[in-house]
Amino acid sequence: MVDIAVPEVDYTQYSNRQLVVVPLAVLAVALLVIFGWYVMTGAPANLGLEFTGGTELRVDVDGDNPREQIEGAFSAEPQSIQEVPADGSYVVAFGEGEVQSSELESQANEAGFEILTIDQVSPSFGDDTQLLALGGVGVAFLGMSLLVFAMFRTFVPSIAVVASAFSDIMIPLAMMNLLGIDLTLGTVAALLMLIGYSVDSDILLNNSVLRRTGDFYESIHRAMRTGVTMTLTSMSAMAMMTILAYIFGIQIMTAIGLILVVGLMADLMNTYLLNVTLLRWYVHEGVKR
Amino acid sequence: MIGKIKSNWRVTMLIVFVLAAMIVLFVPAFDASDEEIGNESQQAQGITNLQYGLDLAGGTRIRAPLMGMTATDVEFDGDSEPEVAAAVSDELPGTGTTDIIARQEFQDEPGTVEVVDPDVSESEFADAMDASGYEYGGIQDVLTDETYDEAMSVLEGKVNQAGLSGSTVQRADDPTGGTFIVVEVPGEDREDVIELIQERGEVRVDIFHREDGNYTTEREALTRDDFQSIGTASQDDQSGPHVPVSVQEQSAEEFQDLVVETGVAGPEGSQCTYETGVPDQEQSTDPCLLLVVDGEVVNSFGMNPGLADSMRDGSWAQNPSFILTTTSFEEAQRISINLRAGALPAELDIFGAGTTSFISPTQGENFRTNALIVGLMSVITVAGFVFLRYREPKVALPMIVTAFSEVVILLGFAAYLGYPLDLAVIAGFIAVIGTGVDDLIIIADEVMSQGDVSSRKVFDSRFKKAFWVIGVAAATTIIAMSPLAVLSLGDLRGFAIFTILGVIVGVAITRPAYGDILRYLMTDR
Repeated sequence: MVDIAVPEVDYTQYSNRQLVVVPLAVLAVALLVIFGWYVMTGAPANLGLEFTGGTELRVDVDGDNPREQIEGAFSAEPQSIQEVPADGSYVVAFGEGEVQSSELESQANEAGFEILTIDQVSPSFGDDTQLLALGGVGVAFLGMSLLVFAMFRTFVPSIAVVASAFSDIMIPLAMMNLLGIDLTLGTVAALLMLIGYSVDSDILLNNSVLRRTGDFYESIHRAMRTGVTMTLTSMSAMAMMTILAYIFGIQIMTAIGLILVVGLMADLMNTYLLNVTLLRWYVHEGVKR
Repeated sequence: MIGKIKSNWRVTMLIVFVLAAMIVLFVPAFDASDEEIGNESQQAQGITNLQYGLDLAGGTRIRAPLMGMTATDVEFDGDSEPEVAAAVSDELPGTGTTDIIARQEFQDEPGTVEVVDPDVSESEFADAMDASGYEYGGIQDVLTDETYDEAMSVLEGKVNQAGLSGSTVQRADDPTGGTFIVVEVPGEDREDVIELIQERGEVRVDIFHREDGNYTTEREALTRDDFQSIGTASQDDQSGPHVPVSVQEQSAEEFQDLVVETGVAGPEGSQCTYETGVPDQEQSTDPCLLLVVDGEVVNSFGMNPGLADSMRDGSWAQNPSFILTTTSFEEAQRISINLRAGALPAELDIFGAGTTSFISPTQGENFRTNALIVGLMSVITVAGFVFLRYREPKVALPMIVTAFSEVVILLGFAAYLGYPLDLAVIAGFIAVIGTGVDDLIIIADEVMSQGDVSSRKVFDSRFKKAFWVIGVAAATTIIAMSPLAVLSLGDLRGFAIFTILGVIVGVAITRPAYGDILRYLMTDR
């Protein structure tokens, strides 16, 4: 049987600067990617159907060369054609404004495709949704920050939690751009969910260090043993969900799962490098001043 | 015995909740689905009382606002609603009386004027309001609540008349000021649903005839209000597809006179050769009855000599029924539905500002099985992981049982509330299992830290410490998710609601119970 033991890291070997450089560098790269995306495309990520408007069909195609059949069937050029591994159906996406969705629907019928799903979003609806989703994430983040500050009532430990949550959201967002994952309502939900997951292990760490007597490193290790187990457990569930949902072509679950996996990885790094360092500085130097 | 229950009341509570959830889930009497408009199809399959959303049942969802604008705080100056509507309509060429809705709830108080013709621009509307002389406060690009209510009841009528069982018509507002109507029709094709609800469905009969040598149209010879009863669409060899109708007594005499006067009921009846799309003055036909839907002529017909005779001798009005013939059976069905359900006060802007989605019933079924597999496998992964980490069945087993019972309780809630499960909700469940197990790990680690737990007192103090962390974490998750639960962001509302509900159930019921179970297993009694 495999033994899952949480490794004990000897933090004393590393200086504060050495410890924070990795998470900060990753965050900087992530922000750079997001900013670059914003400058190039006018949006921080690739916006999905719900935000840009357009039509997406999932069709079953009989016969040879399904891709060619699909390309020939529609009067508009599809933005993308993706195969779903589990049942061999295809997801065909069209941008807004080219051809009306009803026309696409009848063209698919004429070509003899079986239509499994159709989603159509009109552009002005997409704009509103974009604004709403952005506002939602903002409000959620603000609410979380206020709550954390209210709980700890000290600046450095609180800002450590907030900073690590911020980084936990930005890293998967940048990763989405690099992997070509669209920002959809599902991924927005996953980003919000990350706020909750991220804060879990941070609070555990802060609590262990600040509310207990005893050696700093011992407190860290104790919190780490629990925290890493938690994060890995969640990550295993999410990884399973992502893989299966991808195979079955359930897009919303794939998106939610993938973002959470990446975000939880980022959380491991941020909590046990960035957050630990901030706490160490606070406990050893910050308090004395 | 009683003492034992008392000291383990948290476990007792968990058992009570799980049992209650089971009852709600499996006992047929608790089926909440009959509150829907139609019922049947949505919960037809399965042994549970769970209801499935569109993703998992298949069908069509359309979400769109009504098209039109409202002038607010309009001073009616003592005029009646129809007078105001007519005055504004006069200033807007191309609009009819059904394109302007004037509303005044109380005499002498400001009312509203709505224009529902999509071709009218805001400035044209403003000019028309100015020209008509009524003072008004401003112009908004949403219609009034009353119009939305009317539209929703008409839409409900339409889906019911079309025999689409299990359909729902709901209103959804979003904080940016948008108001939408959401129509969900299980098991039905997208095109059919759009066809059914997109047109306003205002049906009338006009008379096309010659007057002083020129063709002219006598509008609204019959409108929906004039009909006494409307039959279902039928088809036979003699008259083709048609809708049998009968006319109300008061309107019958009037219509009879009009038909005779205009010559439709001529001595030999009339032969109609009206051609749609051809200008009036280039027609050459006997007088005709025109069947008009939303301002467009869909069919034209003359009158057979027998019916014409009874019109002329006045006996028809004693038994005023006839048939509206159409060119296809589908059209006959549409006209029958539109006449029964009435016309929408405004058109739905499906392609300009709405969304539609369709999931085929087989795909829905696949999603249902697949989502179940995904959920189960995720739980098994978590269970396996927990076993590998703790190696101690005493700790791991209750952890898994507790996490499972959390899901059962949540499913119970879903069944009790009649909340339809969709893919996003199931993703929410999986996320809940994730956070739930996280918290159980915190409890287990805290309780077992620093050596054995021998006394109850030590256990309780450690449990309390663990609970502080869990409480704060739960509060953050609830705060992070609440915007989604409140905003109308489509599918994600369900995800957020069930994540929040799951966290609350976890903190209030399952996690304390896990603590009790663990204490029972770990401490020396």
